[in-house]
Amino acid sequence: VTVDQERLEDSVTRHPSGLDGEAAARRRLRNRWVAVGAVLAGVVLLTALFAFGLRRDPAALDDVLVGRQAPGFDLPTLAGGGTVNLDDLRGQVVVVNFWASWCVPCRQEHSALDAAWDRYRDRGVVVVGILYNDRPANGMAFVEELGGDWPVVDDPDSATALAYGVYGVPETFFIAPDGRVAHRHIGAVDYELLAERIEPLLREEATAA
Amino acid sequence: MTRTSPTSVWRWAVLGIVALVAAVALAVVLTRGPESPLTMQERVHQIASGLRCPVCQNLSVADSSSTLAHQMRAQIGRDLREGKSPEEIRASFVASYGEWILLAPPRRGINVVAWAAPVALLLGGAAAAAIAVRRWNGRRLEAPRVTGLSVDDRRLLDRELSTVRDEPE
Repeated sequence: VTVDQERLEDSVTRHPSGLDGEAAARRRLRNRWVAVGAVLAGVVLLTALFAFGLRRDPAALDDVLVGRQAPGFDLPTLAGGGTVNLDDLRGQVVVVNFWASWCVPCRQEHSALDAAWDRYRDRGVVVVGILYNDRPANGMAFVEELGGDWPVVDDPDSATALAYGVYGVPETFFIAPDGRVAHRHIGAVDYELLAERIEPLLREEATAA
Repeated sequence: MTRTSPTSVWRWAVLGIVALVAAVALAVVLTRGPESPLTMQERVHQIASGLRCPVCQNLSVADSSSTLAHQMRAQIGRDLREGKSPEEIRASFVASYGEWILLAPPRRGINVVAWAAPVALLLGGAAAAAIAVRRWNGRRLEAPRVTGLSVDDRRLLDRELSTVRDEPE
């Protein structure tokens, strides 16, 4: 009896308005569940977002230039006497190759570029080598040693390389006849890759003409 | 004759001092002119410190000693001398390297989450804390009611209790 009395006294004093106590308690409980649910939903959402972000490779560079107009350049040839201006090459497929004499993969890919240049030079394809972070004399020595007679130019303060978003050599950009960047290749190229990239652009050239 | 109460004298004195201080401050600002402009090097550093060095692991272009970072700083300097604004320079790097190049993500698109989440969490936490504190205070305020029942409630309670007591076990 005493327990009942205490409980009754307690409930009445705590909630003088009487039986509302139970409803209020239910409401409080429901509010608590709603709050817990909202917090849980937020946590799950954020976790999902972070998990998605973690799956992306932070070192992977965006090929932002692909599909956009290629940054123009007008650079002096290593051999001296004149410049190569990208605007003058409009209507042709341009393979822009950033390279350096100190770059080992550049040495490896050189024969592939040479072969592609021989195969496509009479079909409206120009290869342009842009020297990156190197002395022109070293670049010239490299070309004399390994051969190849496609235009090679100097990029004195790397302004063109920066405009192309280059972060290392070799990097190769394939520019369509309409002047847009069609592909970007990071690292050494081989002949198959060059042919695979150039051929569709040649067809574009044919349909445009 | 106008009556001058001591309070109005005080009010005018305070107003006068405030006006004097404001005038002096304004004069100082006007004669000194705006803050001395940043040097070219400082402006380059400011922009470079917001750009990620492409060949380093999470170093800014300002902090990296790599050749590429050095060239990027030189490029920023050339652009500034050409009269480009910092926004234009950042935009040109984004055009070449992508948004990846920015150390702080721009405040739009999905990136807004990164900026808004901490603020939202802080506000949410403050709200939760405020509710919790109010609930605790409410509970403490309830305590005196146990003894401070109104006369009617006390009578009602006594009646109820007496019926319980009278009930046979």
